[in-house]
Amino acid sequence: MKKTMTVRSKCYKILSIAVIILLAIAFAFPLYWIITGSFKTAKAINSTTPQWIPSEWVMDNYQKLFSKQRAPLWSIGIPFTGITFAGPTVPASIRWLMNTIFMAVVSMILTCATSAMAGYALAKKRFIGRTILFSLIVCAMALPKQVILIPLLREMSALNLYNTIWAVIFPIVGWPFGVFLIKQFAEGIPGEMMEAARIDGASEWKTFTNIALPMIKPGIGALAIFTFINSWNDYFMQLIMLSSTENATISLGIARMQAENSTDFGLIMAGAALAAVPIIVVFLIFQKYFTKGITMGAVKG
Amino acid sequence: MAGKAKKTTGYSMSRALVRRETIAGYAFMLPNLVFFVGFVIYPMIQCVITSFFDSTMNRADIFVGLGNYIELFQDGVFLRALWNTIIIVVVSVPVTCIFSLWVSSIIYDLKGPFCSLLRCVFYLPVVTGSVAVAVVWKWMYNNYYGIFNYVGKGLGLIDKNINWLGDERFALGCIILILLTTSVGQPIVLYVSALNNVDASLVEAAEVDGANRMQCFWRIKWPQIMPTTLYILVITTINSFQCFALIQLLTSGGPNHSTDTIMYYIYHTAFKLYRYGYGNAMGVVLAIIIAVLSAAQFKMAQSD
Amino acid sequence: MKFRRILALALVGTMALSATAFAEGETTDITMWTYPVGDWGNAEVMDGLIAKFNEVHPEINVKVEYLDYTNGDDQVNTAIEGGQAPDIVFEGPERLVANWGAKGLMVDLADLWTDEAKEAIYDSVENACKSNDGVYYEYPLCMTAHTMAINRDVFEAADALQYLDEETRTWTTEGFLNAVKAVYESGQDPVGAVYCSGQGGDQGTRALVNNLYGGTFTNEDHTAYTLDSEENVKALQLLADTDGINFDASIAGGDEIQLFCNGTLAMAFCWNVAQEKNNAEIIDFDVLPMAFPSETGEPKLCGGIWGFGIFNNGDEAKIAAAKTFIDFMANDESIAADSVKASTYWPVKDLGNIYEGNDLMTEYATFIQYMGDYYQVVGGWAEARTAWWNMLQQIGTGADVATAVADFQTTANAAAGK
Repeated sequence: MKKTMTVRSKCYKILSIAVIILLAIAFAFPLYWIITGSFKTAKAINSTTPQWIPSEWVMDNYQKLFSKQRAPLWSIGIPFTGITFAGPTVPASIRWLMNTIFMAVVSMILTCATSAMAGYALAKKRFIGRTILFSLIVCAMALPKQVILIPLLREMSALNLYNTIWAVIFPIVGWPFGVFLIKQFAEGIPGEMMEAARIDGASEWKTFTNIALPMIKPGIGALAIFTFINSWNDYFMQLIMLSSTENATISLGIARMQAENSTDFGLIMAGAALAAVPIIVVFLIFQKYFTKGITMGAVKG
Repeated sequence: MAGKAKKTTGYSMSRALVRRETIAGYAFMLPNLVFFVGFVIYPMIQCVITSFFDSTMNRADIFVGLGNYIELFQDGVFLRALWNTIIIVVVSVPVTCIFSLWVSSIIYDLKGPFCSLLRCVFYLPVVTGSVAVAVVWKWMYNNYYGIFNYVGKGLGLIDKNINWLGDERFALGCIILILLTTSVGQPIVLYVSALNNVDASLVEAAEVDGANRMQCFWRIKWPQIMPTTLYILVITTINSFQCFALIQLLTSGGPNHSTDTIMYYIYHTAFKLYRYGYGNAMGVVLAIIIAVLSAAQFKMAQSD
Repeated sequence: MKFRRILALALVGTMALSATAFAEGETTDITMWTYPVGDWGNAEVMDGLIAKFNEVHPEINVKVEYLDYTNGDDQVNTAIEGGQAPDIVFEGPERLVANWGAKGLMVDLADLWTDEAKEAIYDSVENACKSNDGVYYEYPLCMTAHTMAINRDVFEAADALQYLDEETRTWTTEGFLNAVKAVYESGQDPVGAVYCSGQGGDQGTRALVNNLYGGTFTNEDHTAYTLDSEENVKALQLLADTDGINFDASIAGGDEIQLFCNGTLAMAFCWNVAQEKNNAEIIDFDVLPMAFPSETGEPKLCGGIWGFGIFNNGDEAKIAAAKTFIDFMANDESIAADSVKASTYWPVKDLGNIYEGNDLMTEYATFIQYMGDYYQVVGGWAEARTAWWNMLQQIGTGADVATAVADFQTTANAAAGK
């Protein structure tokens, strides 16, 4: 009896693994299709019989992508002076990539810094209004950003931030998930350590940097990667807030390009590859911290 | 002991400490509060206020009271969008949860790098980004050169090309399928770690007592991974409500409003019909729905 | 103390910098957003034209942004709401006059419309460029007649050329139906597609429906929509019933063009000379541009007019600079012909034969004579366009034609009455 059970359960397991491997192939397929598609000839792409593996690898699509529009590599404006320093002219898609990297990195740094402080305060400081603030944060987390798109757009316009990368960054930084995550980590800081620091006469800031920060480091690491990937892919805010080609991000640029050349799939795949590959590489490198981070955030929450 | 001692000193520390804690607390909160209040709370309040106005481009807002809300529930397109949104949530949330639980239960105890490799693969569509995902699926669904029609015909499942995204019967299903591939990544990661944290001695004890696989799972493991399930339910629900890019890039709500969702309809109302107040009213309704749902999910989990 | 000193230094520094910027300057930066109207959507050509402009007016910097027809309107609308509308926008009266103009967002261009200009520019174009109240919101540059096109090779193989007049480029409704039938039976499926995923290229589908039985889209005064006429309903019903004509809700005009050019479709409803030029590389068959079929064989083509409008951003210097730019591009002898040529269309006033010896342009010039009423300036145009493709989607999914048309009428006329 027992034996047949194990045999059956073994069979079940092997069969399931086979199915899962097939599914995993299906999940990886779109990415494979993007990358191979970007190297296919126009003829191969427009044929009703798809080529599973390109019979001929060509760079045509990338050439087209890079020759489409041009923009300076960077343009840094000095506020209130009207002076801008523009970099050398490059294909617009490279500029988009630059914008996206800048946006993701700045969002990441600002989010981590502000969330670390706020999360620590919420977990360890017994201040008035703390509970209300925390419940506000939890409530806000559930709301889709799109709900506030119109007021947010008007606000950015009033602040003169519309069509700047900051209009995308600030709402990301304001999004309370980071605070929530760090708070879960900061709860684990032993009270005795903080007490000891206080008795030693350490300032609040010292206590934070010397005692709290090392303890919430894993949380910050996870939050950093999380914010980086999410802001990279935050298409909606970019669509609303950025209007010019120069300020576009790679997702937005590709989305606009596909509207313009909607059936030139080779070109669009080249764009998609340019948008997806860097972020996938980042993910694969930091994969371990990432999985750890999202698990911890969930388990503690 | 130490904790208790601290507490008593804490209470006796009285005013001075409370003040210090409050000042420090807010000082630490401040940088975040600037962004949180400025770019989340303030727009939310604005959103609620404007929803009572007829607001359009280049004209002063006119107060209409509940007018926008009343119109909403007579607007066939909005109701259709609401219905579609509900379908997306009702289909994708359970499927995502069950699918990821099943996959995780098979792969979590695999030896070597297999588990993390598979986990990674299932996470790929999330990382790829909604735009890249949308455009490649658009190609795969294409009426003329799409791989779905080719494979379907090759396997004899269909006898002529199907216009997947252009056919009212299939479009929403196609969108949901893409949504599913981009939403199981995180749940799988979470379930794998939750299952690895299940107390092994309990499972062994149950096996010794002759419990079969299913019993083992439902009696021992399931209660222990319940908090994870709850979390997954909540995040998947929120994600499914947010489905926007796929619709904007693939169908623009068509054909025949069959893929209109509230999210997309808000955008459409605002930037094609210039009705900002009306769009905001939709946002408020959506927010209320999500709030009620999340609260219900929490309640449900607590009663378990 | 130290901090204050740094602050003071920084302030002085910024002021000095801004002072130099001002002294150096006197230049005005303006932005122009263009829709893809021929090569006005092509950065290389535009850079050339602007360089010419800057030879004469080095004090005005023009920055161009290129829009597409799928998202362009959303992009402009968000920018308006974001307080950063472009200074100049290059498009047709349906957007400039009937939409943004009617909303009070555009600058009155009365000083560009001198008596001389009014004299030179064709009357029909002039009428399209002013609002119902007689305010000019657009200064036109070029125009064309939107046609359809067929794959001549496929038609020849199916022996369908007999149903059309290759000389005048016209055909009757009956001839069209016979031709579609012949091509369909020769194994080409679909022959043509009534694209309706969005508004892109909808002038083609409108012209097709209107021409088949001689219906009109609006009344003569452009104050109300008349799609529910017997002729239009009949035409829509006919298209829905014809084998080989698909209602395709997954593509818009741009996709249809590409599908036609690569041979998937045998006819395109969204066509004009620019399409043949831009896709020359892909097309490996003989393209035969055709007028839309009508019962009498006398088509009324939908016109396209393109020109400039100025968004009122409240900055007089920018508005003046924008006007200088428009005046130069449209009227200066050294460049006017080139700017029209860049659009690949025809001038809105007599500039002589600017396409002398150009076979393709001569071929397409045949169609100008068939130009019909420019009804796109009717009120509620933006809403009506959305309602139009929604209606086609409904019909495509089997809804009753009369009901779908009635829905359209309600929505569109409600918007027109605003």
